[in-house]
Amino acid sequence: MRALLTAAALVASASVAHADKLDDIIASGTLRCAVVLDFPPMGFRDENNNPQGFDVDYCNDLAAALGVQSEIVETPFPERIPALMSGRVDVGVASTSDTLERAKTVGFSIPYFAFEMAVTSNDSSGVTSFESMKGKTVGAVAGTYEAIALEEQVNAWGEGEFRPYQTQADVFLALSQGQLDATVSTSTVAQANVKSGNYPGITVVGKAPFDTDYVALFTNREEYGFINYLNLFVNQQIRTGRYEELYAKWVGGDVPSLTVPNAYR
Amino acid sequence: MFETALTSSDLLFLAQGAGMTLIVTAIAVILGTILGVVFGIFRFQVGPWWAAPVTFVLDIFRSIPLLIQLVLVNAFLGMVLRISLSGFTVACMVLTLYTSAYCAEIVRGAVEAVPNTTRRAARSLGLTWRQDMSYIVLPLATRVALPSWIGLALGVMKDSALVYIVQVTELLKSTQILITRLQEPLFLLLICGAFYFIISFPIARFGGYLEKRWSND
Amino acid sequence: MFSYTFQWKQAFARLPVMLEGAVVTIEIALLSMLIGIALAVLLTGFRLSGNRVLSGIAATWVEIARNTPALFQIYMAHFGLGSFGLHLSPYTSLLLGITFNNAGYLAENFRGALKAIPDTQTRAARSLGMTPVRAFGHVVLPQMLRIAFLPMTNQMVWAILMTSLGITVGMNTDLYGVTQDLNALTFRTFELFALAAVIFYLITKTVQIGARLVAARLFRY
Repeated sequence: MRALLTAAALVASASVAHADKLDDIIASGTLRCAVVLDFPPMGFRDENNNPQGFDVDYCNDLAAALGVQSEIVETPFPERIPALMSGRVDVGVASTSDTLERAKTVGFSIPYFAFEMAVTSNDSSGVTSFESMKGKTVGAVAGTYEAIALEEQVNAWGEGEFRPYQTQADVFLALSQGQLDATVSTSTVAQANVKSGNYPGITVVGKAPFDTDYVALFTNREEYGFINYLNLFVNQQIRTGRYEELYAKWVGGDVPSLTVPNAYR
Repeated sequence: MFETALTSSDLLFLAQGAGMTLIVTAIAVILGTILGVVFGIFRFQVGPWWAAPVTFVLDIFRSIPLLIQLVLVNAFLGMVLRISLSGFTVACMVLTLYTSAYCAEIVRGAVEAVPNTTRRAARSLGLTWRQDMSYIVLPLATRVALPSWIGLALGVMKDSALVYIVQVTELLKSTQILITRLQEPLFLLLICGAFYFIISFPIARFGGYLEKRWSND
Repeated sequence: MFSYTFQWKQAFARLPVMLEGAVVTIEIALLSMLIGIALAVLLTGFRLSGNRVLSGIAATWVEIARNTPALFQIYMAHFGLGSFGLHLSPYTSLLLGITFNNAGYLAENFRGALKAIPDTQTRAARSLGMTPVRAFGHVVLPQMLRIAFLPMTNQMVWAILMTSLGITVGMNTDLYGVTQDLNALTFRTFELFALAAVIFYLITKTVQIGARLVAARLFRY
């Protein structure tokens, strides 16, 4: 009897060990995506407070490809990785820059979107370009690619002040109120926020000379099976024209290339 | 200021947030009080030396910021133990322990406030420990503890504003979400503050009233 | 059973930065307590003054501070006042929020403490020829601070813990803010926050033990 139980336990534990994340998602019938919902047009809430945006559609497409239901889990920028690590979400579709430092902790797919960085300023601040931000009070969303780069730049300038806020909304709120003189954000987000008319007195004044910010889907570092699937999925989105379609729907204009010249990945 | 883009569905959204605040608070206060009574009586009963481990652990919950407790427990359960729990569960667990740590202090203080002579008298009349506890200590200690306990319960309600960090959309978070869309920070914040105030103020007043009434006799 | 690999080295390498953050945290807590005590004494005076307007101001302050979340008060200090065009830096907003909270709670403690001081003492002081302000300052206030010493210590611990809320207004130089910035860089959430928790624990314990020593010294009789 005991031997039987032990054997049963072994079989059970073995089958648990073999099921990887991809199997788990398919078996559970639900794909849980971490999406940042104060980051229009990538993720935001419509007037009924339902999630909308590029990332939301992208998650729905991924769920459809897997043949499961999608579940959007709202995740502020600083909480993306904890949400994944604690198993609250399966994958991040959250405009996450694929930095090497982060890749030590999570596994990234190939890039699924690329951002240019833009400077948005308060009209009364006198900031008209990236260089004229020197000595001013600037801010960005804590934990984002542009926040890290901007903080370094402020330190390099040796004057002015950098303030990280918890959400993109707080940044634009602070900018509109005049608490901040200028911010650096992805140009798509900057355009969408200025166009929304929610924030009076702010203008996009130019580009920030940071490298193109490639963003990728992410999941647990060791889930190779799932990462492979994500890579192929991103590739298929481009191949089938769905990427262009979504880009036209949410952003508009020239579709940015997701490949880096002279490099394999 | 009274021209607002706030729609009835937004109000419903806020009400849901408020409901979440109340649910999380209710769970934490009920479970936390039960645990707190157990810990408090245990600490009183076994004396400071034997209770030291419990005292130490409970003290941690009162010595580090609630935000860090939430982030740490969340990270520990999820990243280290790989137990997948909803943010709601994590929030309730942490707030429960947090409540119990403060409640244990209140209970211990209240039990200590019951004069030893009274208890000895009770025991020498032949009451068992259990009888002594329920007929002598409980009524007397409750009078001492209740006003502070009300303060604690309200404190937990206010502190529950921090559970947004584990993705629980409570009142303050839903207010922030609406601020994102409507850009009326002052108006929305005032609604949010008024809600906390309307719940907290009468109960706090009631606590003050009890304290005054009971301390007179 | 742990599939998670702890990387404590990464956290310890950041210890100096975190300790700098701890200094800012202590600084804000201390400042907010000093200003808070002064304001609380003032509010208590308002309440005792018998002037309707003054006691109304004091009562409103105390009730709002005690009946809304501290996070709300700090957020309000930054974005609420910002709506009026009053721009405070994250540091000032945080300090203002905590000080507002401290003053409210302490004023209530002081009022409780005052009840324990018999009226006859004030009358005796007055009949010795002291002015009301002198009688309050020399006779009542020292006793009041003594009775309220323990609640004040607790409030100080609260103030330290409340500094963690500064992140909502863009604060990144205090202990919590520094830790969160490091977390964004490295994603070693557990290790970094565990280290921050230990530092917070040591600070609050130091305050509590320090307060006990001070109390033993000051209130010996």
